[in-house]
Amino acid sequence: MISRRHFAGLSLAIGIVGGRPAGAQEWRNSPNQLIEQFAQLGIKDILGVAISRREKTDRFRVLFKDFFDIPSIGRFVLGRFARAASAEDNQKFSTLFEDVIVYTWSRRFAEYKGQTLKVKDSTPDGEDGAVVNSDILGNDGQSFAVSWRLRKRETGFRVVDVIIEGVSMAITYRQEYATVIQQSGGMAGLLDQMQKQVDDLKAKVG
Amino acid sequence: MLSRFSAPFLRCFVVSGLALGIASCATKPPASDPASLAAFQETNDALEPFNRTMFTLDQALDTVILRPVFWSYREFVPDPARRGVTNFLRNLRSPITVANSLLQGNVTRAGQTVSRFLVNSTVGILGFGDVAADMGTPYQYEDFGQTLATWGVGSGSYLYLPGFGPMSIRDGFGLAFDNFTFDPVAWYNYGANPRWVQWAYFGALYVDLKTSTMSATDELKASSIDYYAALRSAYRQNRFKEIRNGTAAPLPTLPDDGEGDPFADEPSKK
Repeated sequence: MISRRHFAGLSLAIGIVGGRPAGAQEWRNSPNQLIEQFAQLGIKDILGVAISRREKTDRFRVLFKDFFDIPSIGRFVLGRFARAASAEDNQKFSTLFEDVIVYTWSRRFAEYKGQTLKVKDSTPDGEDGAVVNSDILGNDGQSFAVSWRLRKRETGFRVVDVIIEGVSMAITYRQEYATVIQQSGGMAGLLDQMQKQVDDLKAKVG
Repeated sequence: MLSRFSAPFLRCFVVSGLALGIASCATKPPASDPASLAAFQETNDALEPFNRTMFTLDQALDTVILRPVFWSYREFVPDPARRGVTNFLRNLRSPITVANSLLQGNVTRAGQTVSRFLVNSTVGILGFGDVAADMGTPYQYEDFGQTLATWGVGSGSYLYLPGFGPMSIRDGFGLAFDNFTFDPVAWYNYGANPRWVQWAYFGALYVDLKTSTMSATDELKASSIDYYAALRSAYRQNRFKEIRNGTAAPLPTLPDDGEGDPFADEPSKK
């Protein structure tokens, strides 16, 4: 008898062993397939598996770093402030920003109720990018629209922004952080508050 | 008795609020600092000190009094029943979408909303079921703020009022305009009918709106360090999408720093 858990472990092993050779990763060069792959791995290895919260968070960080271009998002979010800040502060920001996203997204993993992602179409965007439009479908018949902004990098496409119901994650962070920098003690004030937020979120994830 | 007092009270509240708002305007950066000036214009929140005060008040009311109400509603009323309430309210408010679609010159949308109303009021049993959506005509919403936007009226400053949440001066005006013209409850009030119906209607609308947006706003609150600023940004982007009515989820325009694609890799890394 092969239990479901064995089966999940087996498919994960096949995924890791069989998925690594460069030639087998053609999906990295297709915007639609990249997003489908991200959703599949997310459901298969994180959302739909019975593992601890911390394990889910750790796995998500690996997946997130693999599919998203975090330094690029960080530079966009800081905008003009990145150019004025020291290399050390930029590095600190990048690390904290990654943590903010990893921990805020992880908070909700336990609420997963079998939602699936369906890619609809994609359109060219920017110099060498694309936007993939998708629907997140709940099993209660409710759905909402999520778009993924991608850019071509050396290893294939990477996600640089997620847009939910017209609200861009990158633009929202950019405008929020600009306000924080201007109103509470510049870059040092922002880093300080981000550190506090990360500590709080970390404590909740456990 | 209440209604006799409420009008002057409301007027006094609005006037003093506006006076306070004007007295506490945010300071516009000088033209010698173009980056700060551009950021100020992008934020478009000339009333920020006033808005932040109202926001704090709203959050306090929300936490202490209203949140338990929304929470219980979401927790104890089953999903299908809550969806029925949402459908009923949407169906009742169809005239607002029909009138504004026509004002925007969109006859197709007006027609679709009329047919939705007819189907849902009958087959959908007084609008509690959204049969029309299952038949391929999904819900659409147009208000007078959107109409003004399509006519080219600018949004005016961002505005945050307790109980109403985020809006702009234009959209606040639009909300009031719809309420006195196209909203069926306004027609009902023209007759000598009891006023409690209006208050029950407003209460239901408010609870329905807050419950349906609660998980999104909670998410934003958890992911932000300045929730006020994050909500202001998210509201404006979402509103932009509503005004443009795209079927293919129109994307917000990326801010331009004068260096081309802001997500392009740094030249040194290429």
